[in-house]
Amino acid sequence: MLRLFRNKFFLLALLTILLLVLIGVSSRADSPVNTVGNSLSIPWAPFQKVASFLENKIGGIFVYFEDMKELKRENDELRAKLDEMEKETRDLNRLREENRILRETLNLKDQFSDYISIGGNIIAKDVGNWFNIFTIDAGTKDGVAIDSPVITNKGLVGSIYQTGPLSSKVISIIDVDSAVSALVNNYIVIVRGDINLKDQGLLRMDRIPVELDLKVGDTVETSGVGGIFPKGILIGKVIEIREGDTDLNRYAVVEPAVDFQRLREVFVLVDKTKNTETGNGEK
Amino acid sequence: MKIKVLAYSICIFVITLLQSTIIDYIKIMNVKPNLLLAFIVVVAILRGNVEGTVIGFICGLCHDVISGKMIGVFALLGLYIGLLIGSVNKRLYRENVLIAVFFTFVYEYVFYFFNLFLRGKGDLIFPLKNVILPEAVYNSVLSILIFIIMIKLHYTFEEASRTSRKY
Repeated sequence: MLRLFRNKFFLLALLTILLLVLIGVSSRADSPVNTVGNSLSIPWAPFQKVASFLENKIGGIFVYFEDMKELKRENDELRAKLDEMEKETRDLNRLREENRILRETLNLKDQFSDYISIGGNIIAKDVGNWFNIFTIDAGTKDGVAIDSPVITNKGLVGSIYQTGPLSSKVISIIDVDSAVSALVNNYIVIVRGDINLKDQGLLRMDRIPVELDLKVGDTVETSGVGGIFPKGILIGKVIEIREGDTDLNRYAVVEPAVDFQRLREVFVLVDKTKNTETGNGEK
Repeated sequence: MKIKVLAYSICIFVITLLQSTIIDYIKIMNVKPNLLLAFIVVVAILRGNVEGTVIGFICGLCHDVISGKMIGVFALLGLYIGLLIGSVNKRLYRENVLIAVFFTFVYEYVFYFFNLFLRGKGDLIFPLKNVILPEAVYNSVLSILIFIIMIKLHYTFEEASRTSRKY
């Protein structure tokens, strides 16, 4: 038996079979093997944090030395805009109060009140060129669970794919494996990542109903169907409609509201009401 | 032996760290190089198939752990690419840059074929010219840098094994 283990071919075959089994077992995102695997990445986490911190700082210096004149002009513009905004805010406050009162009278449930948001910094990007998975520094320790939606103040980023104790992997909406049910002009469509559009940071909209009159510039937001994303998070806007040979296979190109190249901080929305036993068993 | 393990561990750790953080800033045509793969190629060419296989497996596993969807895919791929290059390295001219181009091509195309094409996520030609070819060229350029570092380590290892073989 011991001699068998010295045989290189036997070892190779054994390792190959083991790896194939491991691939099979870990292909379900919530299997415990992935938690173990993600725990293995803990030694990198502090270094990745330092690296991304330095990135921010160095990137900031370059921005600082950019044209001062440009900044001054922009400043004036922004000041003018701010005055305008203040006026608008006053109006909005009034409307918000009104909305709250009306909602209360109608007994409408606020979708977002069930969620608590957890902040996270992006500490690592995808290693390869094919997918778009990144790592954030919030894990099960902070209460992050699998499939929680990830957003920024601009719009939808993605959802939690796997969790580890200190970090978790986020699959962004432009990844080829991601599909989001979306709402355009009150019609439900599917927005997914596409391998050909991923490099430009764009999305592909499929299953557009024939009766939907889609126009360039239409805003796309989550529909709430599917149970992962709450309703009404902004995804982006339509920038191009590509016609196929029939009405059934036309598709549209959607530009996400979030700029994936310059993403640094995100928020994870964790559902308070959902039982977390679908996620990791540690809770 | 201890020195070898330590040197390899540090190399793999640093390369994985670079690959997962700052490599995003040196993208050309939206394609980033794969330092881990370049490292596997260089080690396998210099050190033969046993070390090539082991390093290929460990580098692949690091890739899986840092940003893989499943654990084991890149480990399997790295293991076989290390074995392949390590087994034919006697017949290759070590300083030839085209070796890195060719094997990056093989590695990425095998991955693309099994992980994306067979699942209907793309066609066969598009990624070839838009992702794999630029990456292969970029990788080969960076593998020269890694080669320069590794050749020094290679001579240190050779020296160490020669002194330890004294009777």
